[in-house]
Amino acid sequence: MTLKIILGILLTAVIVMGFGFPLSPAPSAWYELPVIPGLEEKARIIFFHVPTAWLSVVAFLTSMVFAIRYLRKRDLVDDIKSSAAAGLGFMFCILATLTGAVWAKFNWGSYWNWDPRETSIFVLLLIYGAYFSLRSAVDVEEKRATLSSVYSILAAVTVPFFIFIMPRIMTGLHPGAKGDPEGAGPVIEFKMSPTMRVIFFSSLIAFTMLFFWMFSLRVRAARLEARHQPGG
Amino acid sequence: MEFLAQHQLYIVMIIVLAIWLGLYVYLFRLDRRLKKLEERAAK
Repeated sequence: MTLKIILGILLTAVIVMGFGFPLSPAPSAWYELPVIPGLEEKARIIFFHVPTAWLSVVAFLTSMVFAIRYLRKRDLVDDIKSSAAAGLGFMFCILATLTGAVWAKFNWGSYWNWDPRETSIFVLLLIYGAYFSLRSAVDVEEKRATLSSVYSILAAVTVPFFIFIMPRIMTGLHPGAKGDPEGAGPVIEFKMSPTMRVIFFSSLIAFTMLFFWMFSLRVRAARLEARHQPGG
Repeated sequence: MEFLAQHQLYIVMIIVLAIWLGLYVYLFRLDRRLKKLEERAAK
């Protein structure tokens, strides 16, 4: 209960600060955000788009943790949790792709141009899309749980490479890529003012909390569903 | 109103806030409903 109220306040504050704090070429007051050349007002996307992608990473890793637990304990509840986490991760991965594409249209001139960052998230969507195909292809519960647990672990191993490593070692246009025209490294380390950092990390925390809340709702609903199925 | 017309970003902020608050209330109520169902199922 307390956590939910904290989440409500935190994300509301992130939205108010993320949109409401004015940009200034030379910030003097604490609430002024620096103008990042080439990004300007579009820089505000970092408070929402990056946490969306972060949420999907947390979700995919959660899916992996419960997949490992299922393989060790063979409890079908763990399979429910693993697939619920993967489902949320997939949804937020799509949202990250869409919000990124809208931003790209106005920053790079086209919705999609196979930048390393775009390519890697696309491959990630394919990988997790295959996870749901696999699940829907197997009718026997235990078999489905075992196969998809193994797949979820393998899929999660690729996540850090596609989200954190590949887009940083390849030349690309996405802020933080190697050869980023604005600087030498990831935007979050080099370009954010302390105020931006506070908003950004608050947003990361809020999105993580949002994930665990949605995850618990999804799991509880699935458990009730399983209980009311014939033979369940 | 005039302030909003001059500072258009705040309009976007109000829209996003409305969406977030709507979602938040929805999730909160869904949570309560699930809790009731769980209690009924436990009996």
